[in-house]
Amino acid sequence: MKLSSKNLLGIKDLSREDIQLILSTASQFKEVLQRPVKKVPSLRDVTIVNLFYENSTRTRFSFELAERRLSADVLNFAAGTSSAAKGETLLDTVNNILSMKVDMVVMRHSATGAPHFLAQHIPAAIVNAGDGINEHPTQALLDAYSMQEKTGRLEGLKVAIIGDIMHSRVALSNIYLLTKMGAEITIAGPPTLIPKYLQEAFNVNVTYNVKEALQWCDVANVLRIQLERQNQPLFSSLREYNLAYGIKRSLLDSIDKDIVIMHPGPINRGVELDSDVADGPYSIILNQVENGVAVRMAVLYLLSPQSANS
Amino acid sequence: MNIILQQVSIADSNSPYNGNKKDILITDGIITKIDDAITDESAQVFTSGNTFASPGWIDIFSHACDPGYEYRETIDSLAIAAAAGGFTQVFTLPDTSPVVDNKAQVEYVKQKSANTKINVHPLGAVSKKREGAALAEMYDMKQSGAVAFTDGLYPVQNAGLFLKALQYVKTFDGVIIQLPQDKSINASGLMNEGIVSTRMGLQGIPAIAEELLIARDIELLRYTQSTLHITGITTKKSVELIKAAKAEGLNISCSVTPYHLFFCDEDLKNYDTNLKVNPPLRSKGDMIALREAVLNGDIDCIASHHLPQDWDNKACEFEYAKPGMIGLQTAYSVVQTALPELSAEKIAALFSANAGKIFQLPAIIKEGEKASLTLFNRNEFVFTKEKNKSKSFNSPFFNVALKGTVVGVVSKGILTLNN
Repeated sequence: MKLSSKNLLGIKDLSREDIQLILSTASQFKEVLQRPVKKVPSLRDVTIVNLFYENSTRTRFSFELAERRLSADVLNFAAGTSSAAKGETLLDTVNNILSMKVDMVVMRHSATGAPHFLAQHIPAAIVNAGDGINEHPTQALLDAYSMQEKTGRLEGLKVAIIGDIMHSRVALSNIYLLTKMGAEITIAGPPTLIPKYLQEAFNVNVTYNVKEALQWCDVANVLRIQLERQNQPLFSSLREYNLAYGIKRSLLDSIDKDIVIMHPGPINRGVELDSDVADGPYSIILNQVENGVAVRMAVLYLLSPQSANS
Repeated sequence: MNIILQQVSIADSNSPYNGNKKDILITDGIITKIDDAITDESAQVFTSGNTFASPGWIDIFSHACDPGYEYRETIDSLAIAAAAGGFTQVFTLPDTSPVVDNKAQVEYVKQKSANTKINVHPLGAVSKKREGAALAEMYDMKQSGAVAFTDGLYPVQNAGLFLKALQYVKTFDGVIIQLPQDKSINASGLMNEGIVSTRMGLQGIPAIAEELLIARDIELLRYTQSTLHITGITTKKSVELIKAAKAEGLNISCSVTPYHLFFCDEDLKNYDTNLKVNPPLRSKGDMIALREAVLNGDIDCIASHHLPQDWDNKACEFEYAKPGMIGLQTAYSVVQTALPELSAEKIAALFSANAGKIFQLPAIIKEGEKASLTLFNRNEFVFTKEKNKSKSFNSPFFNVALKGTVVGVVSKGILTLNN
């Protein structure tokens, strides 16, 4: 089995069948991860470079762990400690790395479209680990996997995506994926953090009232406030954000149903999510992290030369 | 040296010969005779069955990059590219290093271009160093040869200063060119804000950023009763605002780039950095409205917005890529391809006569007048890297079949033919 695309640049490019294939392959790898010996030889002799032009803990560790569990050879590159800090261009860096015969590139970059640019210039398979405010496809896949695992379905599932939509690549990938899989979506957050044309672009519901979104949904995917990406004032203070849009125990208690709480991390505790919710019984935040490894193993395996040969 | 252009169709609504197929005799740079058949054994003869002759084309908005960025373009290379694109007069932007904000810099451009095949006219900055804080010495620059004034891609944001600038140029009948963009509205945007930018995950520049500045400038123009040209308009609303201001009798005119008539934001889906331009490519609806406005005369001129960028600044992440594209050599072909119904006479108006009127550079095909002529036909044109005369290669039009070819120009008494 094979994906329809040579790279994973975004969920935008995947078909429904691709998504189903990744999720079912991830289930098999999740089973592998429960074994006493968690390592499989699937990607032996495959060299993967993790190119991280932007800081990351969770995603980088998750990819690296997935690569090592698959027995790949792994190279790690962090822009802050490499030649990129000396002004080397992205294309130069990658060509140098490719001269070392790398088969796959996992890249995170602060600029939208950076992996698409790479894909036009190099033959290696590329996995987008987050580009600017565009997409974070493996996060959306692990979110979908976790939703399906918890609720048993994606078709018809009501998902609220709450918070800083404008600066979130998680939001866009989730919207693409959930739409393709037949889930219903409501976007909630302050008007200054929701792109003006979102509703028209994706045919999703938009509300500025978080309680209304919570009352409606089965799953709430709460997003991080991306202060580092805001170059103009978009809300008055973190305190006020929490007052108006933060997810609190009292808010959840005020609605008459149980909903699943998700967050892609890292959490700004006390801003978009209060601790008693993040650590509460309805939170599956740590399951998301666990599933991330299995999902990334699936993606890497399906895009690898090994999979193409099998 | 005499030149005879045999059997060219004259496209010039100001000329008594408009629409006629004639021979044109040029002696020492002056049109000396226009007749059905002219013979002169000693003359250099150009002959072609299907060629139009227009008064020499004028480009009002080109980046020469010289001095300061000679690795992207020089005044010499710009002039050669312009001639190949059919332009006999080119206005160069002041965004060089140093900025053209004083007499010395104006004279640099004049002197550097003295021996080029075409006429290069420097645009002076409106504000010192284009910083938008204090007026530049526009009077002195005008006396030295600055054709008009603009702060280019950094239009004056401060309304008070822009009001003073509009008043100030009235002393010497100056014209100010404004590229409309309110930089306080999402200046970090990378493309048109809309459905496409939302789907692509790119920050958008809303159309209102442009329309707001045009609306403001029209108010300031009404107050000052000065002369204003808006270049690089991209939206339907912008056209409507300017049309209403014209109807009211204000001295306002506008221009559009060839690429805003050819592309729209949907063409950006592969993050092609050659299509990253400022102002951005707008929606398809806007593109169609601009085409209509060119056809019905609401838009006065075509402005190439020729902006050379070196390879490194385009072969990179979309977000980091510098904006702009080269455009002198493809301007006509792109416009004729986007609007095949444009007559030769209309082309002549858009590329020459209207700008000549706005900026007081009249040209007419008539005996006794200076010979500044552009020769063109409707044949297919394929722009290639080999044909490119610019020092830069940032064009999305390489190897694209376009409809309409520039054959050559007559300028400064010399006939220059492409190929």
